[in-house]
Amino acid sequence: MASAPHLSSAPRLSVRNITKSFGTHQVLRGISLDAHDGDVISLLGASGSGKSTFLRCINMLEIADAGEIVVDGETIAMTQRGGRMVPADRGQVDRMRSELGMVFQSFNLWSHMTILENIIEGPVHVLKRPRAECIAEAEALLEKVGIAGKRHAYPAHLSGGQQQRAAIARSLAMKPKVMLFDEPTSALDPELVGEVLRVMRALAEEGMTMLVVTHEMSFARTVSNRVIFMKSGEIDCDGAPDTVFADGASPAFRQFIGNFGG
Amino acid sequence: MDLDFMASTMLTLVAALPMTLALFSLSVIFGGLLALLVVWMRVGGNPVARGFAKGYIFIFRGSPLLIQMFLVFYGLGQFGFIRYSVLWPALREPFVCAVLSLSLCTAGYTAEIFRFGLRSIPAREIEAARAVGMSGFLLTRRILAPIAFRNALPAYSTEVMMMVKSTALASLVTVWEVTGVAQRLIAQTYRTMEVFLCAAAIYLILNFLILQLMAFLEYRLSPHRRAAPLFPAAQQ
Amino acid sequence: MTGASGSVKEGIPGMIILQTIGFGPTGWGGLLLVATLMTLCVTAAALFIGMVFGTLIAWAKLSGSRIARAFGSAYTTVFRGVPELLIIYLVYFGGSSLVTAAGSALGYQGFLGLPSFVAGALAVGIISGAYQAEVYRGAFLAIPRGELEAAQAIGMHRTLRFRRIIAPQVLRFAIPGIGNVWQLSLKDSALVSVTGLADLMRTSQIAAGSTRQHFLFFIVGGCLYLVLTSLSDRVFNGAERRANRSMPAGIGQA
Repeated sequence: MASAPHLSSAPRLSVRNITKSFGTHQVLRGISLDAHDGDVISLLGASGSGKSTFLRCINMLEIADAGEIVVDGETIAMTQRGGRMVPADRGQVDRMRSELGMVFQSFNLWSHMTILENIIEGPVHVLKRPRAECIAEAEALLEKVGIAGKRHAYPAHLSGGQQQRAAIARSLAMKPKVMLFDEPTSALDPELVGEVLRVMRALAEEGMTMLVVTHEMSFARTVSNRVIFMKSGEIDCDGAPDTVFADGASPAFRQFIGNFGG
Repeated sequence: MDLDFMASTMLTLVAALPMTLALFSLSVIFGGLLALLVVWMRVGGNPVARGFAKGYIFIFRGSPLLIQMFLVFYGLGQFGFIRYSVLWPALREPFVCAVLSLSLCTAGYTAEIFRFGLRSIPAREIEAARAVGMSGFLLTRRILAPIAFRNALPAYSTEVMMMVKSTALASLVTVWEVTGVAQRLIAQTYRTMEVFLCAAAIYLILNFLILQLMAFLEYRLSPHRRAAPLFPAAQQ
Repeated sequence: MTGASGSVKEGIPGMIILQTIGFGPTGWGGLLLVATLMTLCVTAAALFIGMVFGTLIAWAKLSGSRIARAFGSAYTTVFRGVPELLIIYLVYFGGSSLVTAAGSALGYQGFLGLPSFVAGALAVGIISGAYQAEVYRGAFLAIPRGELEAAQAIGMHRTLRFRRIIAPQVLRFAIPGIGNVWQLSLKDSALVSVTGLADLMRTSQIAAGSTRQHFLFFIVGGCLYLVLTSLSDRVFNGAERRANRSMPAGIGQA
């Protein structure tokens, strides 16, 4: 925790001792993490190290077997049913999810709605805010991610990079407290990665709290203020990019970045 | 539920099963042969034949089987040249009329199914056959027909199952197959549910057997889609 | 006209045909038109009944409960595998004895028939429901899982997710399938004529019987069915094109 810059304030997101198994295979072996206001945390790790599962457990797309998730001081209530942990209150989960923005590897825009409709869907129907207001905000967001001209297009008519920027705008429209990115550039052609990373970098500079599962070493090194390297369901090393990327890091991490030629 | 009544109903219905099977098998055979002719006209080069085949498929797929059957059964006898022809003794028979209209109708559906089977053949496989000097009937028999039939089999299975159900319509032109006998039993006893359950069981078992047969055929015709044998040496 | 009556038996002159199927006092044209509308109404009612049954059965087949799944499979197996005519008998005779039983409980003696429109629409609807269930199930499975996850991740609760994300997409993917089921029901509806409902099939039959012009009237009836099936084909193709405007060009907008 040496690198956490805001020791005084309460964490925006706090995860304690998350474990998760699929069948007999234990994917997460007790992961804990605190994210404070303005933190940009990069989660690195080989495929199969559990980093995506960890992110999906945070907003309950997967239900962890044990552990605790606290958003802005509020703990998600869990209960036992049929030998499994389930959320005690679906309403609380929905409310909590609306406070955590999620960006997926494969964008997951709703294909039957235009880009603008995708963006205002959550604010209008989940947050029940006035439509006109939401449209005005959505247009500002589209401007910000650089696809204002595409607002009446359908997702299938956009490039991958444009779709991912639209998906980021869709998450931002909910005014999330924390943004979760699940390998946001992995499904993109190499020449489209840059435009998405630029949007993410701008968000980080505005002070958005972000948790990013990524393979982009330069993003982890230069944009994030904290890097976590996961190995077989556990945190292998954790710290500021300068210290983690320095030679003193764990042998496993050195081997991992060695594979990237970095 | 009255088990004695169910048992006697079952016996009465099973006695009508040969009629259902006869209607079914004859119309699947004649319908299949007719479909080959129609699909040959449909994909061939002759524009008149193609137009005729298109019209045939449109008419027999677009109108209800019952009206086709009534047209054959009641309509044909209206014409003197049919009534005085050598075919009349046969065409007067309800059974012949039923098989005729079932075959005509299924040929329309089957022709479309075969045509999609033909269209699914990769062009490069046809090219390869032409490259070794195949053409015409040889190409059709050795390359086109086997691939097309294999690809059309799932859709054809569905059509065959539909034919089992379609034979029920023959009861409306006085051919006493299973559904017709069931209707007579219902009208006599008013025990609708019991009779329905017995008749439904017969059709479901029949469907199940046909499905098994089709699945077996599909398995036999697709060794190339199965996983490669683990130990090729063991096969020799 | 005296000569005409003699030639009626062997192919009839054009004038007589026009009079017989026309709209004049001796023509069957008006009745056939009403009968065509009746066929449309019965099929439309069956489509809506089938939508309700189909949705419920698709839901049962997709549900986590083993009993619900077994019930759903039994429904689709039976009502797609048993002759339509048999199901019409079940609904018509079975329904009538239920109505009669209810009548005698209320003190009314004697046989009460289920109205043939109700029986026909219900029977064809039950069959159509079995086919529609498969259509909806396939359409639901065609929705990319990620889009459902995105809806969850944004905090949509179950009913909102169904209304905003699932239902519109299921409907879009289901349009070609519903079109096929409609065509099937249109042809199945001809069998409802056995209950005495004056639909297109039944009216052609009555006209054929009372004029002894079987060939003519079954041809005319068949042509009217062809008009119905080809018109509905156009309607569904148009609907499919409209619904696919969000798809990449070339897939939907052929």
